[in-house]
Amino acid sequence: MRLKTYFNVWKIFGFNAIQENLVNRGSNILFMIGKVLRFSFSLIFLFLIKNTVSSFAGYTSAQMIVFFLTYQFIDLISQIFYRGTYVFSNEVRLGSFDAYLTKPINPLFRALTGKPDINDAIFMIPSLAVSFYIFNNLDISVTWLSLVWYLILVTNGLLIITAINILILSIGILTTETEGIIWIYRDLSSMGRFPIGMYMQPLRFVLFFIIPIGMMITIPTEVLLGVKPSFSIFVTILVGVGSLIASLKFWNWALKKYSGVGS
Amino acid sequence: MTKYLTLLKITWQNSLVYRLSLFTWRLRSFLSSLMSLTVWTVIFTSNNSAFGYSKESMITYIFLVAFLQSMIIASSLNGLASRLYSGEISNYLLKPINLFGLFAIQEIADKIKNLLFLFLESLFLFLIFKPIIVFPDLKLFLLFLIWSFGGLILNFIITLLFGSLGFWSPQVWGPKFLFFMILDFTAGKLFPLDILPIMLQKIIYLTPFPYLSFVQIQLFLNRLNSQDILKHTVILVFWIFILGTITNKIWKKGLKSYESVGI
Repeated sequence: MRLKTYFNVWKIFGFNAIQENLVNRGSNILFMIGKVLRFSFSLIFLFLIKNTVSSFAGYTSAQMIVFFLTYQFIDLISQIFYRGTYVFSNEVRLGSFDAYLTKPINPLFRALTGKPDINDAIFMIPSLAVSFYIFNNLDISVTWLSLVWYLILVTNGLLIITAINILILSIGILTTETEGIIWIYRDLSSMGRFPIGMYMQPLRFVLFFIIPIGMMITIPTEVLLGVKPSFSIFVTILVGVGSLIASLKFWNWALKKYSGVGS
Repeated sequence: MTKYLTLLKITWQNSLVYRLSLFTWRLRSFLSSLMSLTVWTVIFTSNNSAFGYSKESMITYIFLVAFLQSMIIASSLNGLASRLYSGEISNYLLKPINLFGLFAIQEIADKIKNLLFLFLESLFLFLIFKPIIVFPDLKLFLLFLIWSFGGLILNFIITLLFGSLGFWSPQVWGPKFLFFMILDFTAGKLFPLDILPIMLQKIIYLTPFPYLSFVQIQLFLNRLNSQDILKHTVILVFWIFILGTITNKIWKKGLKSYESVGI
């Protein structure tokens, strides 16, 4: 019953976001063209590598493309649902967050999912279609079992993304400034376009355990491709669930430190 | 002249006020270079040459692109359109200073700051990758510096041109996003443009973007013959002249229609 209420609230967020997008049609069309160009150029680059280089960091060049497609999917999901993180610190500064606290829904839910990205939701459709087409034409073999594990680990990756976004929101409460952190996270996550194992230590450790991009993207892809994963599935799921629990505890602690601006 | 020097000093001091923002901005630039260098180092691990580049040439390319990215493409004027639309420039219009002169001073302060950090970052990357940098002869090096200066002016003009959108519309993030997406790839940030299919290269060369760093690096790497050097010099001057004239006209028109109420 409570879940249904939250779903209905989220639908209102989505509806509001669509209305906002329709007001700024011109800018949104250009934004969409930009997204398509970025995706296309990245694919062109990867296919150029595929056609020139036979292996890449121990993977075949076809396998390397799957890493990029997984990154693209997980990143888009994160953008669609958690765009609210980008504007949250501003809402703390302006005092809008005070209003969230007085509403009969969880303030974390409002802060995290309050601004769905409609552009990315629309872009998801062609992006998925192209990804499936490319995936089907790659010279790789996938078993049903590895596909099931892939889906489980991608879901685990989404838990990690949720945890990172909650962490950023909590920092927003404590410092009211998160723009720099968000962009660094975006840059670090873009490193997941390639297998994390190719980076040198200690960056590799950071990308597996501190900001676990590797657990989000590299491990699921390795499992899908039937390659021995860099870390066991157990460790990956432990990091996913553990990071979510830790981030929720941090959020609750940060919330206690919040002092409203009385707007 | 003294007032411009004072402005330079103030802009420099302002840029160092938000040190955390400065740190995160530089860290992002560093991570971007680190990723590119890692990708290309991995590609060249099993290949002596790829896409017509030797390992040394490609690593030199990536170092140079990081350098020119910070010196030419990075700009303190990216928020110019919103400064115009919000009426912030009214303050400057009332002062006995040339508006373009002020913007140029702000750019110079930004470039000096970038240059200082760039040396530190490059040193760090140098120690990690220990690359063999290929240097051209003195004549080519001097021409490289002149072309880089030309690229800097060209980028300044393009930034002013985009900024002028703020005279008429608050919706500038769409065109800006598209512009940055195009720039990211057409200036040769992640990979050299000459690895792309010929058709795509021809289209990109119809724009001024390759003149913001790609052709400069080609010159540095001694990959241009005398005919190419002459052709690119003429085209670079042509873009500066044409876009400079258009920008000047648009700004004159914009300033005539500019109004700010209650500032």
